[in-house]
Amino acid sequence: MVEFDAVSKVYEDGTRAVDALDLSIAKGEFAVLIGPSGCGKTTSLKMINRLEECTEGRILVDGKDIQDVDPVTLRRNIGYVVQDIALMPHLSVGENIATVPRLLGWKKAKIAGRVDELLAMAGLEPKKYRYRLPDQLSGGQKQRIGVLRALAADPDVILMDEPFGALDPLSRDKLQSELLEMQKAVQKTIVFVTHDMDEALKMADKVILMRRGRIEQMGSPEEIQENPASDFVRNFLGEDRLAQITPDMGIESLVQDPYLRVLATQKAAAVLDQMEDLNLDTAQVVDDKGKWVGMVVPRRAKALARDGGTIAKAVRKDRRLNIEEATISDAAAMLADMDLPVPVLDGRGHLLGIVDSSGIARLAIGRLCRKGGETR
Amino acid sequence: MTQRSLWDLFITYVARSYPRILMLTWQHLYISGIALAITLVICIPLGIYLTRNEKLAPYVIGLANVFQTIPSLALLGFLIFVFGIGNDNAIAALVLYAMLPVIQNTYTGLRNVPPSLIQAARGMGMTERQILLKVQLPLARPVLIAGIRVATVWVIGTATLAAAIGGGGLGRLIFSGLASIRNEVILAGAIPATILALLADQCLKMLENYYSPETRAKRLARLGPLEPDKPWDSDQDETVLADETEENEEAASESPSDVDKTKGEDVS
Repeated sequence: MVEFDAVSKVYEDGTRAVDALDLSIAKGEFAVLIGPSGCGKTTSLKMINRLEECTEGRILVDGKDIQDVDPVTLRRNIGYVVQDIALMPHLSVGENIATVPRLLGWKKAKIAGRVDELLAMAGLEPKKYRYRLPDQLSGGQKQRIGVLRALAADPDVILMDEPFGALDPLSRDKLQSELLEMQKAVQKTIVFVTHDMDEALKMADKVILMRRGRIEQMGSPEEIQENPASDFVRNFLGEDRLAQITPDMGIESLVQDPYLRVLATQKAAAVLDQMEDLNLDTAQVVDDKGKWVGMVVPRRAKALARDGGTIAKAVRKDRRLNIEEATISDAAAMLADMDLPVPVLDGRGHLLGIVDSSGIARLAIGRLCRKGGETR
Repeated sequence: MTQRSLWDLFITYVARSYPRILMLTWQHLYISGIALAITLVICIPLGIYLTRNEKLAPYVIGLANVFQTIPSLALLGFLIFVFGIGNDNAIAALVLYAMLPVIQNTYTGLRNVPPSLIQAARGMGMTERQILLKVQLPLARPVLIAGIRVATVWVIGTATLAAAIGGGGLGRLIFSGLASIRNEVILAGAIPATILALLADQCLKMLENYYSPETRAKRLARLGPLEPDKPWDSDQDETVLADETEENEEAASESPSDVDKTKGEDVS
């Protein structure tokens, strides 16, 4: 149903976000793309509905090369669920669900019927919820609507980009189960991106573990768990993570997206405003090619903001980790020294993400939950 | 000659010359309405254009800002060389004067739409045009209407100066009142102008409330879907927000005139 044939995504600066990806997802299969931040999983997903264009190779959906299909037509026939839910705040729940059917020009009565049917399927009483605004819903309800919106026009393929990433663990678990139930009934081809291994193992028919734009291992959850192909996979699986933690282990599995990433040419005042809005103590500065410039130091940035200078001058460059060399003990030492996120760079100085204390806490939590939650 | 109170003088003046006051009110509305309509037709598309050509934005907004800072009387004076004297000149000056809030608010309103929403809309298969009309403009509407409200009040207030360069409008009464030191005549010009500005502002505020997601959702819940049974792609459905607001603008400027007429009659 969805096929990748030697697909690469090369950016103008030569970064290979996705490198010669071969992948075949069968009809009705639930495929989960997983990997650390920057491994190319989201890029691969977005290439399927051409939000990102692939630069080499070709992608087939339903046997047709997507380069031959008008992107707008293509997208209307592929469901899409995004991480930050992104329901239209000015439209009612019903209208949000009806978005794609309306784009496709369905009749009003048919749309209304479909909306009610979907709401009922998700256990939300149509009469009560149809005219609610997204802001009047809880996080879990919003994401249910996000999923219903993708299902509305009954597409064969649905793309989900970390759909439950922003939810609390309880509602995440509930929505995962609901989605699995729904999938049993509708049998869609689903491509699902996550960085949470538990989620991948729970949901997937096929897990595709990616690393630096390539597939590290692909197979059913059982295969991956029983035969991890490499240390990286074993590490990512998190089997007995705590027991296995050695000071010289790589930091790859700890890397997450930076909370705030700004361009070096931005004004210091604007960056400080953003940091204040997001309630952050720090931000990572990159140049237009993605090369890391430094980490913002608020004290120096405040002085610069008064003079109207750019943020590039208010950074410190000494605090960083190299993905190829750094070990967990390096990261831990830096975090013990100062509890602010540590930027992680690749060999060419590009910013991959950050490591902070929450990443290390996650290792511990993952381990503890697994101990207590065998019933899952 | 006995000293009569200002109020008596005012009532007598209005009772005697209400046809003239009404005529001038109408002229005032006409000048302001045309100026606003031109401003919206130019500035909303311009603001949209600027969000797509970010580099131009500081220059265009800066230029609009310059017009804003020129004292309005001086601007009217300069424009005599271009448009001569009369209403055309006044309308041109008002347009230059009202540009800034509309351009700036269109631009900021559109820029503040979260990129994640735009990406989601694109990912669902909206064309760039649909993204603009169905996502960006509706979300920018509160900011946009706030800008239009500011522009409206400015234009109606400043339109009184049109009389200084041979144009019409309520400014005539104010200027002739000033020249003949008759306060009741000044009042007869100033009060309707103030009422017009306040009414137009209130109408736009009500309009904004009417279209706010909350009231809209309540309305939908009460009446069932009001949306036309048309796909978004069909040509008839191309309701540009700019048009919408203009129509409403006209509605807004018409209704105060009606109200004002009845007021005039009441007084007479």
